[in-house]
Amino acid sequence: MAKNTTQALETNKISFWDKMKRDRWLYFLVLPGLIWFIVFKYVPMWGTLIAFQNYSPFLGFWGSEWVGFDHFERLFQNPDFFRVLRNTLILAFYETIFVFPAPIILALMLNEIRMTGYKRTIQTLVYMPNFLSWVIIASLTFVFFTTNGGVVNMIIEYFTGSTVNFLGDPNWFRTMIIGQQIWKDAGFGTIIFLAALTSVSKEQYEAAIVDGAGRFRRMWHVTLPAIRHVIIILLILRMGNFLDQGFQQIYLMTNALNRQVAEVFDVYIYFTGITQGAFSHSTAVGLFKGVVGIVLILGTRYIAKRLNQETLF
Amino acid sequence: MKRYKKKVLLPVAGMVVVAGLAACGGNNDESANASNNGTNSNGDLSEERMSVRIMAPSFAPDPVGNDSPALQAIEDYTNMDIELQFVANANYEDRFNVTLASGDLPEIIVAYKDASFISAAEDGAFWDVTDYLDDYENLSGANEVVLNNASINGRQYGIYRSRPLGRNAATINTQWLENLGLEMPTTIEEFHEVLRAFTYDDPNQSGQDDTYGMVVSEWEGPWDQMQVWFGTPNEWGENENGELEPDFMSDEYRDALAFFREMYEEGLVNEDFAIMDSGEWFDPFVSQQAGMVVDVADQANRLQNQITDDYSDDEIIVDVFGGVEGPNGLQIKPTTGYHGVLAISTTSVETEEELRRVLQFLNDLSDEEPQNLSYNGVEGVHHEVNEDGTVDITSQSEGGDLFDREVRDLNQFQVAIPEEKFKLPPQSALQQRADEVMEENMEYVVPNPAEPLVSNTYRERGSQLDNIIDDARIQYIVGQIDESGLDEAVERWLNSGGTEYMQEINEAYQEAQAAQ
Repeated sequence: MAKNTTQALETNKISFWDKMKRDRWLYFLVLPGLIWFIVFKYVPMWGTLIAFQNYSPFLGFWGSEWVGFDHFERLFQNPDFFRVLRNTLILAFYETIFVFPAPIILALMLNEIRMTGYKRTIQTLVYMPNFLSWVIIASLTFVFFTTNGGVVNMIIEYFTGSTVNFLGDPNWFRTMIIGQQIWKDAGFGTIIFLAALTSVSKEQYEAAIVDGAGRFRRMWHVTLPAIRHVIIILLILRMGNFLDQGFQQIYLMTNALNRQVAEVFDVYIYFTGITQGAFSHSTAVGLFKGVVGIVLILGTRYIAKRLNQETLF
Repeated sequence: MKRYKKKVLLPVAGMVVVAGLAACGGNNDESANASNNGTNSNGDLSEERMSVRIMAPSFAPDPVGNDSPALQAIEDYTNMDIELQFVANANYEDRFNVTLASGDLPEIIVAYKDASFISAAEDGAFWDVTDYLDDYENLSGANEVVLNNASINGRQYGIYRSRPLGRNAATINTQWLENLGLEMPTTIEEFHEVLRAFTYDDPNQSGQDDTYGMVVSEWEGPWDQMQVWFGTPNEWGENENGELEPDFMSDEYRDALAFFREMYEEGLVNEDFAIMDSGEWFDPFVSQQAGMVVDVADQANRLQNQITDDYSDDEIIVDVFGGVEGPNGLQIKPTTGYHGVLAISTTSVETEEELRRVLQFLNDLSDEEPQNLSYNGVEGVHHEVNEDGTVDITSQSEGGDLFDREVRDLNQFQVAIPEEKFKLPPQSALQQRADEVMEENMEYVVPNPAEPLVSNTYRERGSQLDNIIDDARIQYIVGQIDESGLDEAVERWLNSGGTEYMQEINEAYQEAQAAQ
């Protein structure tokens, strides 16, 4: 891509300003988006500076005392830090290996269905949970899994004679979180992959059939490579949010019994920052999270490039 | 050191004298005005109306507007122009911070003693009114314990909005007690026996094992309340050296927890309490699956109302008790006795003269007439007064939102000091009983000596520290950890800032004691 453009520039000898002039109306159309980006995404960034202050709302930004890296030092020295970091990383890792591939697998399965009506119905049904809020999903989980008359535990009790404390046992916490995410988002995530799959030409399948490839072979050698670039791009985007666990879900599923494994950065920021008015400290934690996010994006991009795949930028 | 002391002392002494003189001078004028105001609701006409903005939380979906006749009557009585700035209660904390940051504070603002308010007060955002209160007829009657609780290291940065101190109490199903031939529990042994009988002796006579003793939710309040029955200090207590120690370091705490753990093992409380949403807390009591709830005295009336809608006195099947006797006799955990303070901004109320005017206003608000206006509205419009002195809030019982639109949230800037003087709707026997219990509790409440003390470490890490101990308690009760797990939690608490927290609290405690 980059090579092509430089070549084009050299051969056509059109300067930057000439190009701007020629496409001015196109650039004009970009303007509102650009302004939106600057005003709402870049300008507020200077507020991040309060991470280096002892910010007090009454004294305001200009009146608050500057403290340098104090908040970062405090964060890294806090015995909670490594626990929170560990919880966050483990959960993020599980999300990447379990939640991320779920829609791909689902899309491949849907793609194999040949009856259009049946396929459509299934598709609509698996989209549904995406429109439920986390509050509702958390309540549903409670109703189904509680040890006091939850359906799941009643079935387990019928067969094994004992109940499993899915909601309180820290060992079950991550399984529940991952399960909820797959249930909620996998169906909706298939949209992009199914769209990519429509671009695979029939001829390739026909050729594969002629070559004697079975269903699984066709999926492996034709379908998957065709959507490979979409997968890579989504993976890179996903990496940028690697440390975001989604505050609502975790917050709703946390209780006194599983907090040891449940406390991740998003919840930690809420407890230390918002509930205690430690705005500077929570901004510092947020900034730390942002830095990790950038490192992961660049890292994934680098690896993808080395593997000779396309990248986003 | 000595020289320093002298240098400071002189100007301080000077200031005290001046302040004293000013206070005396003001006092004469103000009390003259006050008596004028009190006897004649037209007030002193020569004095122009001062305008005050009041920011307060609201609970009605469509809060009271500035054209409410009840508000206008309050304005006439107090000779003030009031501009209300209501914020939905759910967003109040956020809006409080935003308002602080904006720099344009209303004259009077409802503030809760959280980290933002404490640091703003220390940065000089609000008037320190400690030395003014005695000059006002109503405000001088403020309760000492509550004043202490509401203060920041002993100084008042606002007038507290009073709530009953002895409000904590348990609600019990008396029908079950009668069925089982049991008395109201008065000791821990009896309490245990009642819970056991509620669980195993078929209290509802259904012939089935479908009941249990007490329902608890994920909210830790009930455990806090019950452990005080066992003689655990109320959050902080003095050890033998006269130093303050948190409750969980006492032996009584361990005894209480061992009891709770036994209760849980025996199935006397709901198995899933640690994950039960507090919104569903009362459902098992209302559906008569569980026979007890430890919460507040006024909860009994609400629960009875849910059991039998609009109940009459002979339909009552619940009763209230404050607590049961432990090894140290009857001890009850009090509430803090207030819910937020009315803080007065230093940026909008610039001079001491204006401050006195605002204080006078808050003082006058606590007179009987404005109290009635803010709780019941205008007679003939919002309520009727019955022969026995009770009120019938017609604007509410007839349906419609007149009461919400014109009265309901006016009590949010009502401090009710020294006491509530407004007329009440007719009380059921249960409500009267609850009031009695609250009154009785006052004799047995254990104050928290550290309530007014401020610690920087706690301000920064308080919720983390609290979580360590609260979680460990729950984990111990359900059997996830044992005694050594509790010890580890205390160790972790100390290492996560607890040591500094204790130190800071003790320093502040000594200073406060030296100041007295």
